[in-house]
Amino acid sequence: MRSPTTLASLADELRAIVGQSGVLHAGSDLLVFECDGYQIEKNSPDIAAFPRSTDEVARVVRAAARYEIPIVPRGAGTSLAGGCLPVGGGLMIVLTRMKRILEINLRDRYAVVEPGVVNAWLNQALAGTGYHYAPDPSSQGACTIGGNVATNSGGPHTLKYGVTVNHVLGLEAVLADGRVIQCGGPAEDSPGLDLVGALVGSEGTLAIVAKIWVRLTRNPQGCRTMLAVYDTIDEATDTISQIIGAGIIPAAIEMMDQGIIAAVEQAYHFGFPLDAQAVLLIEVDGLEAGLDAQRDVVAELCRQCGARNVQFAADATERQLLWKSRKQAFGAIGRLSPNYCTQDGVVPRTKLPHILRRILAIGEKHRVRIVNVFHAGDGNIHPIILYDEREPGAIERVLQASGEILDECIHCGGSVTGEHGIGVEKIRYMAKMFTADDLAAMEHLRTAFNPENRLNPCKMLPTAGGCGMEQIRPGRRAAL
Amino acid sequence: MSHTASELLPLTGTVAPPDSAALAGALRQASADGTPLYPIGGGTSLDYGLPARAPGLGLSLARLDRIVDYPARDMTITVEAGIKMSVLAAALAEQRQRLPVDVPQAERATLGGVIATNASGPLRYGHGTIRDYVIGISVVDGRGMEFKGGGRVVKNVAGYDFCKLLVGSLGTIGVITQATLKVKPLPESSALVACRLRDHEQAEQLLAGLVASRTSPTAIELLAGPAWEDEPALEPIEPAQTGSGFGQLVIALEGTAVEVQSMTATLADEWRAFGVAAHVLPPERAESLWKRLREFPAAREGGQPHFAPKAPQNEPVPNAGLVAKINVPASRTIEMIRLAGEIQPDCSVQAHAGNGVIVVRMPSFPSGGISRLWIGRLQPAAQQVGGSAVILSCSQVSELTRQAVWGRPAQAAMLMEAVHRQFDPKNLLNPGRFVYS
Ligand SMILES: Cc1cc2nc3c(=O)[nH]c(=O)nc-3n(C[C@H](O)[C@H](O)[C@H](O)COP(=O)(O)OP(=O)(O)OC[C@H]3O[C@@H](n4cnc5c(N)ncnc54)[C@H](O)[C@@H]3O)c2cc1C
Ligand SMILES: Cc1cc2nc3c(=O)[nH]c(=O)nc-3n(C[C@H](O)[C@H](O)[C@H](O)COP(=O)(O)OP(=O)(O)OC[C@H]3O[C@@H](n4cnc5c(N)ncnc54)[C@H](O)[C@@H]3O)c2cc1C
Repeated sequence: MRSPTTLASLADELRAIVGQSGVLHAGSDLLVFECDGYQIEKNSPDIAAFPRSTDEVARVVRAAARYEIPIVPRGAGTSLAGGCLPVGGGLMIVLTRMKRILEINLRDRYAVVEPGVVNAWLNQALAGTGYHYAPDPSSQGACTIGGNVATNSGGPHTLKYGVTVNHVLGLEAVLADGRVIQCGGPAEDSPGLDLVGALVGSEGTLAIVAKIWVRLTRNPQGCRTMLAVYDTIDEATDTISQIIGAGIIPAAIEMMDQGIIAAVEQAYHFGFPLDAQAVLLIEVDGLEAGLDAQRDVVAELCRQCGARNVQFAADATERQLLWKSRKQAFGAIGRLSPNYCTQDGVVPRTKLPHILRRILAIGEKHRVRIVNVFHAGDGNIHPIILYDEREPGAIERVLQASGEILDECIHCGGSVTGEHGIGVEKIRYMAKMFTADDLAAMEHLRTAFNPENRLNPCKMLPTAGGCGMEQIRPGRRAAL
Repeated sequence: MSHTASELLPLTGTVAPPDSAALAGALRQASADGTPLYPIGGGTSLDYGLPARAPGLGLSLARLDRIVDYPARDMTITVEAGIKMSVLAAALAEQRQRLPVDVPQAERATLGGVIATNASGPLRYGHGTIRDYVIGISVVDGRGMEFKGGGRVVKNVAGYDFCKLLVGSLGTIGVITQATLKVKPLPESSALVACRLRDHEQAEQLLAGLVASRTSPTAIELLAGPAWEDEPALEPIEPAQTGSGFGQLVIALEGTAVEVQSMTATLADEWRAFGVAAHVLPPERAESLWKRLREFPAAREGGQPHFAPKAPQNEPVPNAGLVAKINVPASRTIEMIRLAGEIQPDCSVQAHAGNGVIVVRMPSFPSGGISRLWIGRLQPAAQQVGGSAVILSCSQVSELTRQAVWGRPAQAAMLMEAVHRQFDPKNLLNPGRFVYS
């Protein structure tokens, strides 16, 4: 039981492991850990610990096990699905002090990092080597590689380069009972079950990731970035299928609709045409030898599909501004509305025209305005539902619209999350996507790793998550 | 030439259910009766893994071979697990697409078998392995419970990723009935560029050079040993001027015609700086060499069965053959090849050298050699550098202990067993053949 005295004695034990400054116990110190990027539900952990090594993580976990207290791992806390919410309190293990890049090995094309290394730091460290770490979530300036592994992050360049799991070679992890395991590592194809694959994307419910071997990717020789401008959304989405159907896999295809274009233009003054219904930001990369030809084919396909204008980024500065407009689009939304809620769903690429039409209709039906900016090449949509929470009934309408959009994604053969995960936010959709037997199988896997369900309880699986939490307000402030 | 499933496995019978419901029924029945089950795909590698000892039922996937859905413009395909790799490739090729995972005997090998064994070939350097392409999977576990993971879209993080868990699980987590794959466009053009290697040092120099190359190869294959000496496709390449001569390096390049042309020229330039001449193989030779590169792990020497039929237990086959796979960080490839050559001078290797994956074929392996040379020398050397060494096939059945086939138990072995128990609590799926005790 977690009486104040047992908590105080656990805190003492933890201080002996991670030092005085490595433990937070007072209520007010813990307030910043009461939620992550999902701010709908909040709850403070009882204690937070900041280990500096795998061994310290293991000892902290063992202490927590003796006290039978739940554990929530946390990286930078940028999760948008409430993965870091300490449902029912407990111990939060914050990994941000484990922030060393342990090895960069170009000959063998891998790097070894601690979980608290911020995604962008690794690429800063790799600058000039000719190699980079490919997964690039839009939160990369803040989120940790441990968090990326736990959520299997994607980003704009996922279309060509794949998600996090395609770039993780090995993991060292601490199990719920404090045992340390290594799976995978610097060599490929290690015999036995692919526990790396099981751990990536497990949202902190199977083990605490303490060290990561990541695959490094050769930088492309060059890239060409362009903006295609459309009078109708259908023409834009049709272009995506045409490009991919032609056997070209661009590095990225991102779409913005009229609503978001207006906001972005006000914020960044790139020169986006305000009357366009949609723009596509397309980047092709690879060998210089083929790039101009590839760019021309893509531009021609855009025009054939009805683009009224295709504009090439003239230089690195223009390219950067284009990408900045895209990656920071969410910062601009404040100009449109006092509140907003971002969804994360996926449909097969060819169903994009359909889902965008449905989103429009759903918005009209529930009298909410919805704008769109998303990873179109992957079919990963992020409709942003604008509202004003002071308006009576607005929140209910937003929730209904969100729900109908996700239901439609499932109906199209898609998914209720492409990159943000289930966390606490989307638990109720799991039973819509999966059968009872599918969920039972997931429960089996969880039991093997985390038999007492003390590691990130009440997350991801409805069976483990019946914590009686009702969603009362729309989710998520920001998302890309 | 090839052996039937019943020669390779102690089968009491074989069933071939027509659909996944019937297959689940068969599994439930077996579970109720406690009957061991052996999933069978194309039967090309039933001798891989530890030899099966418990008599049981063969569960053939032969009738689950349909294409369920192929929305080509989404670049995904959903197929049943028993589909032959060649049939899958032909369907994709009609839309100018492919699954870039190359395995031997594609006319027989099935997708389910490839997923269950995590088989891969030369293309893995540029395209990854089957793990990177399975985005949805349907499975029936050891209790007969049907479940699925992933879905049909290329991006999806809802729930645990069972696709990865099933890849390489050798049929011990469940029987794969269906999979959805991400596919890629067929390249417009391709070329093989080859050179002869003077010695180990030069080989490592060239490999290290490729890490910084301005080309982007899709395969980096290092070939050495007698099996490659008379390779007709490589004949016109002049022998090394000096040194003892050590194998060939073959690079595959793919892309648009312009890209391939530019890369072949660039590679030739880069190699010239090392004093090495690059030979672009003419198309017919490239094609026939590519076929050999794909088939090497399964190929049999000189028309003879490479492996004697499974010998009765405890009867050592003198000079048995062995095919094995060594995995090390790429920079250790040459060192491992050298060691394999010391252990068995007549061995031939095909290294996917960019990945540090080395397939070793030893046509004659002395009796008792597995424990002495393999477990005693080669496995520790691989483990020392963070790698592993597993036996893919060996006729010397009596020597095939767990350690011989799979190496020292992984640090996470207990956890793997715990996962396995959750899905196959009675240990009926391919019992005793995989890494579990
Ligand atoms: C503006 C913005 C843009 C974003 N853009 C993207 C995007 O493009 N693509 C994308 O995929 N996501 C995006 N996200 C979501 C988020 O950034 C990612 O999910 C990211 O991977 C989370 O990393 P983190 O370090 O913040 O993890 P946290 O938020 O701290 O944790 C996320 C989850 O992982 C678990 N966890 C964290 N560290 C560990 C560990 N070491 N071991 C085990 N479990 C752990 C936590 O328990 C939690 O369940 C965005 C978020 C914001 C705010
Ligand atoms: C551990 C291992 C590693 C290998 N690595 C390589 C490699 O690196 N390179 C290479 O070229 N070849 C490799 N092979 C060979 C590879 O197995 C074959 O090329 C091919 O994939 C087998 O397909 P198949 O349909 O003939 O399978 P089969 O020979 O019929 O079966 C092979 C194994 O997979 C299981 N299995 C088959 N279908 C299913 C299913 N639907 N569900 C569950 N289990 C099933 C069987 O029980 C059997 O144990 C490897 C084999 C093994 C065992």
